[in-house]
Amino acid sequence: MTEQPSTRDPIDPRGPRFGAGITALLLLVVVALDLSGFTTPATVLLGAIAALFAWGAFAGIQRHPYGVLYARFVRPRLAPTSEREGAAPPTFAQGVGLAVTGVGLVLHLAGVPLAISVAAGAAFIAAFLNAVFAYCLGCQIYLGLLRAGLLGRSARV
Amino acid sequence: MNPAATFAILLGLVALATVLGLIWRAANGRVSAGDQSLVRLPELPDARVTLLQFSTDVCAPCVPTRVLLGAIATENDGVQHVDIDLTHRPELATRFRVLQTPTTLVLDSRGAIRARIGGAPRATEVRAAVAEILGARTGAATGASAPRAATT
Repeated sequence: MTEQPSTRDPIDPRGPRFGAGITALLLLVVVALDLSGFTTPATVLLGAIAALFAWGAFAGIQRHPYGVLYARFVRPRLAPTSEREGAAPPTFAQGVGLAVTGVGLVLHLAGVPLAISVAAGAAFIAAFLNAVFAYCLGCQIYLGLLRAGLLGRSARV
Repeated sequence: MNPAATFAILLGLVALATVLGLIWRAANGRVSAGDQSLVRLPELPDARVTLLQFSTDVCAPCVPTRVLLGAIATENDGVQHVDIDLTHRPELATRFRVLQTPTTLVLDSRGAIRARIGGAPRATEVRAAVAEILGARTGAATGASAPRAATT
């Protein structure tokens, strides 16, 4: 009777948070560059971050470069944990990050002022909350899409 | 923009994110009083207390929540845990005003919502809410005036 949410491919939840920490730092660098007038380097760096989001969203969080970094260099130095989470939430979150940074890049190329800084700032807040507080914005957005009828039901049954 | 202003904006971003995180953490997982309305669902077991968890496919804290509530159900006679995946039943999210996952409703034997928890529940608070319902039932069954003991 109990419907169980999927726990396919359980992963160490600290991995995605480590990656979110790196992403948050890079996004702060983007804001700093853009506000200091180095718009082209800021755009290139945000483009690289968006490409990494796309990697995580389409290849899956387990194949993300930061995940590989975490598994090779960070996890061996940490105490083992029995905590596990599904790969779906962080993978979905990568898609959300791709959407936010992608919109910022498109608006910037369309000539909207400050688009890079605003998009990078918004993405920074989400990445920071994930890295520091384990807050899952993607989980929230997924529920919102379900409630709006844009996801779920026939799609997955 | 001059360096000082840029630095102030960066600092402001970090401060804003920190404050948002602290507010979220203070509220997350808290047990609040339920509205006593009755829940009728075919999934509901016949139990003195039902921990009704709403989850989705994309929900990091739902997995540890399932483990915790499952353990509380196991350690208390008459307590059952039911986990419903809203991915397949989105209409339930609207019906029970689920604004975040996991959301847990603590139901008594009549199916009345006695408590509500948004986010990953805090173990001690769930146990206290369960104990309060179990205690009240026992008191009523023995004819004593069921004391609404403040278990906090």
